[in-house]
Amino acid sequence: MKCHIPGANVKVLGRTAHALARFGDELYLESLPDCILLRTLNAAESAYAMVKFNKNFFTYFNYNYYSTEDNEGLKCKISMKSALNIFKSPAHMDKQVENLEIKLDAESCKLIFQLKCRHGIVKTHFVSILDCKAMQAVYTKDSVPNRITSPQRILSEALGNFQSSDDQVTLEVSSQSLIMRNYVDTNVDLTKIIRTQISLKPSEFDGYAIEAETTITFTLKEFRALLAFAEALNLPLQLHFETTGRPVVFIVHNGSTFEAHFVLATSKCDSASQATSTQHTNVERSKRKDSNSTLGSAKKKPHLEVDISKCLDEDSHLFNFIDIPEEVMLNKTSTNGNIENKSKSSGKTEEPMDCDNIPASPAAKNMIKSVFKRCFESTFDPRNLHGAILAENSDSE
Amino acid sequence: MKFRALMVDAGPMREFANIVTIISKLSKECILRVAADTLYFIVSDDNSGPAPPVLWCEIPQAMFFSEYQMVGLDDEHKDIYLGLSSGNLSRSLVTLKTAKSLKMKLTKKQCPCLTLEIEMPSSTSQQTRNVTHDIPVIVIPRKMWSEFHEPNTPDPDISIELPALKQLRTTIDRMRTMASEVIIWASAAGRLTLQIKTDMAKVSTRFKELRVEAFEGPIDHSDSETESQANEDMSRICYCRVDAKKLSMFLSADQVTHNRTLCSIVHKKLVILCLHTEENVRLQCFISGIVY
Amino acid sequence: MNWSKMDDVNSQYYFTASMDSGKTLCSLLKAIQFQETAVFCALPEGLKLTVEEGKCVQASAYVPSDNFTEYHVRDDVDVMFKISIAVLSECLNIFGSGEESSLKMYYRSEGSPLLLVLQPQSVNNVMTDCEISTQNADSVLELRDEDSAEVAKLVLKAPAFLGLLADLERSCDVIELHLSPEHPNVSIVTYGMQDRSCIDVPKSSDMVQSFTCENPVTLKYQLPHIRLIMKALAISSKVVLRCSSNGLLLLQLKLEKEDQRQMFSEFYIVPLLDD
Repeated sequence: MKCHIPGANVKVLGRTAHALARFGDELYLESLPDCILLRTLNAAESAYAMVKFNKNFFTYFNYNYYSTEDNEGLKCKISMKSALNIFKSPAHMDKQVENLEIKLDAESCKLIFQLKCRHGIVKTHFVSILDCKAMQAVYTKDSVPNRITSPQRILSEALGNFQSSDDQVTLEVSSQSLIMRNYVDTNVDLTKIIRTQISLKPSEFDGYAIEAETTITFTLKEFRALLAFAEALNLPLQLHFETTGRPVVFIVHNGSTFEAHFVLATSKCDSASQATSTQHTNVERSKRKDSNSTLGSAKKKPHLEVDISKCLDEDSHLFNFIDIPEEVMLNKTSTNGNIENKSKSSGKTEEPMDCDNIPASPAAKNMIKSVFKRCFESTFDPRNLHGAILAENSDSE
Repeated sequence: MKFRALMVDAGPMREFANIVTIISKLSKECILRVAADTLYFIVSDDNSGPAPPVLWCEIPQAMFFSEYQMVGLDDEHKDIYLGLSSGNLSRSLVTLKTAKSLKMKLTKKQCPCLTLEIEMPSSTSQQTRNVTHDIPVIVIPRKMWSEFHEPNTPDPDISIELPALKQLRTTIDRMRTMASEVIIWASAAGRLTLQIKTDMAKVSTRFKELRVEAFEGPIDHSDSETESQANEDMSRICYCRVDAKKLSMFLSADQVTHNRTLCSIVHKKLVILCLHTEENVRLQCFISGIVY
Repeated sequence: MNWSKMDDVNSQYYFTASMDSGKTLCSLLKAIQFQETAVFCALPEGLKLTVEEGKCVQASAYVPSDNFTEYHVRDDVDVMFKISIAVLSECLNIFGSGEESSLKMYYRSEGSPLLLVLQPQSVNNVMTDCEISTQNADSVLELRDEDSAEVAKLVLKAPAFLGLLADLERSCDVIELHLSPEHPNVSIVTYGMQDRSCIDVPKSSDMVQSFTCENPVTLKYQLPHIRLIMKALAISSKVVLRCSSNGLLLLQLKLEKEDQRQMFSEFYIVPLLDD
């Protein structure tokens, strides 16, 4: 892969790196014939971000430059730290950087970022490729009953009313109003926490279509990161969501060159415990106490449930790994298939699209090279699957 | 017990937020005493027995609230005493500076709460946004009320008007990096000196031409190791050694618009700083003298 | 202290000086304040304060005498003592950075404290006096080696160089400086956990004011040492880098005030040698 990014867009890439860094520690890069995808997943597997840069974002774009196979683009993973080091201060990059070239050096297994800056200065970063994986999440974006388009200022202004110590937020959405509340874990001493609530009217938003009233709760850390992203680029924010427990998708795009999806899992919280401030009574409190004990240690935190089988029955987790029909598997065992396992079967979260059926071993230099090379062979392409649960393929427009 | 009050004017809202911010800097917790005419914020030292509270603030409610209703426990116990986290209150009031109105009331949620309902203007439309904060409070039992009375302090030896608090704070903050205690000297001749002394340095910032409100001298220095100040009549000078950090925290009250601040000193024992604002708010801070 | 007897004071005292505003001096001192103590020298040409970190870094602030409205040093004595540079800069800043304050300094004789008197220009009812204790100074380490020739010299615009340094990965320990008469002339290389970063500065760049180098040379330094110059770079207009054949790096920084007077800071950094 080789591509050139003009100065004005380098800032966007910088902001992307900073936003994604607040989600996960590893950055997955994939080059396709018409775009480049950057993706990451947080450690708790409750938040996923994907930013797609279309061909027209670049001044030069060759998705499979240096590839040994004609139609294969690049699929790799680098450390988020490396990415942050390249884009240290996105605000300054606007004025400093004239051009950025990203290209693969297959021999040394490095991704080379070269920035041509003002004053004739050239900065080159030789970034080690950690692995040749790719990853993909499956989520619903289009056929959702609830969509809100918001100038991002509104949401960040609303958030300004909350304490920085709050870590989760609940949105109670109806056609009359959107109420934002800090979510209080039922394990916490309620006499010590401030409960804050802000109510916003639909007319505040650019678009507000609610077909199914609902209450969703998600973590603030990633929410703040994506709001900061939208704010830095001065773009509105779209919220697509369904019901309690289903992931919420936030979309930021400029209508032409790039599109960012931020997907946060929502928890299936006991809504009685988080009713609006006006409703509490002692009776409700004791009711909650009881329901807590039956669920045992099942925390209400949004999470791709790994050990609580109850949640696996519902279609609520973030990553429906794609089911591989038997016959396809047989055909592909000879290659380095990108085998995806449904998490249900193993009861534990699998690495998405593991391109290696060599058992894990310490990464020696030559090992990485051979693994890498095999990624350029005909790899398993999820798009070839028929009848799989690809609700929304992120790289189709 | 009932309490409900409404504030709609921008000036009082800003002042109220500033006052609460200063209190939150001085202490994590405070007492809010709600009386018929006045709201009091009281901060006590943890070790206080008969010692005065660290901070005593009186806010005449008529200058701040357009509506104010309270009902105490009974005829003999007319006020309401609430304990709360000053940090919680201060953070909730951060947006007050651009708000349209503030309603405060005592409510019972999962526990007794001071509920703030703030009406915020929207940045994008004519609509308003309603923000509600439920701040948990503890209702202070009657038997503890005696600990929170207006402090009874000995008559000060001198009361002198302070120069600009901002200027004082800048200097004290520089001094704090060099020493943890500062000596405040005040003379009936209108001079005030802030001084630090360590092995490495002795630094004195001297103000003159300040207004002396009262002087109950002469001061007896016979028992102490006071260095005599050249050309000065020691009987008209008193001093007190205090914790520099506490002093600096009070001086952050420069954010509150005020008419004047008075510094009263009980020689070697106590420093009382009293700030008066245009809305008749009286903010008093008591700093005990450090004696070796 | 009877301020009216200034002439007597000047002739008897080892050192006296006055300045209209101590603000720039204060910034300069803060720029070399990476240790607690400094050696204070009042030379006939001007004031010099030196700070050392181990035997690896030596930084000096130099204030030529024309920066002072009055400057007297007794010619029969050596005025050199150790003083806390942290306390000195806090005292110079006692009225805050928003205020221009006039400054007077007095050093009576060996062992005396350094006396400072400051008065803010905007208010006339306040003044501060400081007595800062002093200790005997050992001599200052001479890092220069007379026998080592200068092998390369690079003159850069300070703000641009600051930008480059600020962009380097902080977690790196080592910085490599490659200088060569061939393009790209100057390369700055750092190694991270898994990555390598390289900044190329050709001599044609407009941030380079001059470049002299006959033979290629590669030098390595500890990045934290190089980063010590950043505060000084932030207040300077120009920086000169000189490399000796023994690897010693000298960075000379020039600061220009509004009244056209100049102050300087200097950093000697010892290289990392391969075993």
